[in-house]
Amino acid sequence: MKISVKINGELYERDVAENRTLLRFLREDLGFTGTKEGCGAGECGACTVFMNGKTVNSCMVLAVEADGAEIETIEGEAKDGTLSKLQEAFDKNNAVQCGFCTSGMIMSARELIRIHPKPTVEEIKEGLEGNFCRCTGYQQIIEAVLDATGQLEKKEGLKYAGK
Amino acid sequence: MLHQFSYAAPRSKSELFSILDDQGANAKVLAGGTDLLVNIRNGVMKPRLVVDIKKVSGYQGISYSPTEGLIFRPTVTINEILRDASVRDHYPLLQECGHDLASYQVRNRATIMGNVVNASPCSDMAPALLCLGARAVIASSKGTREVPFKEFFTGVKKTVLSPTEVLESIVVPASSAGGRGAYRKLKRINGHDLGIVGVAVYIQGDVLRIAASSSAPTPVVTPDLPVDISVEDAVAATRKIISPISDVRCSKEYREFMVEVFVKRLLAEVRK
Repeated sequence: MKISVKINGELYERDVAENRTLLRFLREDLGFTGTKEGCGAGECGACTVFMNGKTVNSCMVLAVEADGAEIETIEGEAKDGTLSKLQEAFDKNNAVQCGFCTSGMIMSARELIRIHPKPTVEEIKEGLEGNFCRCTGYQQIIEAVLDATGQLEKKEGLKYAGK
Repeated sequence: MLHQFSYAAPRSKSELFSILDDQGANAKVLAGGTDLLVNIRNGVMKPRLVVDIKKVSGYQGISYSPTEGLIFRPTVTINEILRDASVRDHYPLLQECGHDLASYQVRNRATIMGNVVNASPCSDMAPALLCLGARAVIASSKGTREVPFKEFFTGVKKTVLSPTEVLESIVVPASSAGGRGAYRKLKRINGHDLGIVGVAVYIQGDVLRIAASSSAPTPVVTPDLPVDISVEDAVAATRKIISPISDVRCSKEYREFMVEVFVKRLLAEVRK
């Protein structure tokens, strides 16, 4: 089926198989390999992208469902070679270890900050609950989101705060 | 790689029904896709045709009126329910249950219709719908019929829907609005997870209902109980409707025990 999709502001028209996921379409047909496939079943969040302004697991969306949609991926996060505030905060706070979860984390973190411009630690944990980091760098990821929202002082309350 | 299928996105109900009449069990309805596409990926379902209903005119949105109650159309997502002011004001139990369903980005796609049609014993929305006495409005080319959710689930992943029918709306009656309810779901972790057991308790007027998930082949609900029922009798009434199994997540005995714990805690909470 022929579809046309806007990705990071640019229009793409392609013929896709009906059973192709949006994730495979992005990665294999168009080369947007920043978005990752982890579990392929909506558990891990590595494939999170924006579709019409909402975060979705792209492994559970068909490419044909995205016909006419606007998609944003990690490739659109930096503008003109300059990292976004979130990317910078992830870098500075060592929130990236192997990097596999990072693209999805940044998509979800951006959505979280849109809803809660000054999120509490609890709100961060909840907003990122659909994104797994198997290096278990959650502490640093939470710190990065606190930093990006100008509230790194809250990180003191984070120590040993697991419940 | 997903199993091969063709794709249709009808714009009208008549177009949808004629596709379903033509294809029968070869077709599967796609709304959010968070269960369907995983089932196709795992080879549990092998539809020849996937019918996307998101563009069907009249299948979008939530409406509320003090006389008709609340109506969910089939493409309403869980996050739409969590943001809806009339749900918050009149049926907050639905938001409490929805909040426990999967993760934020899954809730952006997952629909309440899909959650009940999937008919998992651990459905998160079913306990609220059962407590609130909600009805399923089922449509096909032959017309519509209404089934109370108490009779909607017929077994593990089975419902009264035939392959040519669609769950066209979910109606929560006006008479159920404004009660006090609470939901508790036992999980292995604090984040998103399938439930080990789930219990909802709802008091409205002179009726008390208790619903449970993950503790029988289908989500279940007690008959209408008196609001001043003793804790022991409420526990006994709940025991009568559940029939849990032992599985990878826990034993039958643990499920029975935790349902009892939750009934006691939730009763105290809604009676406060």
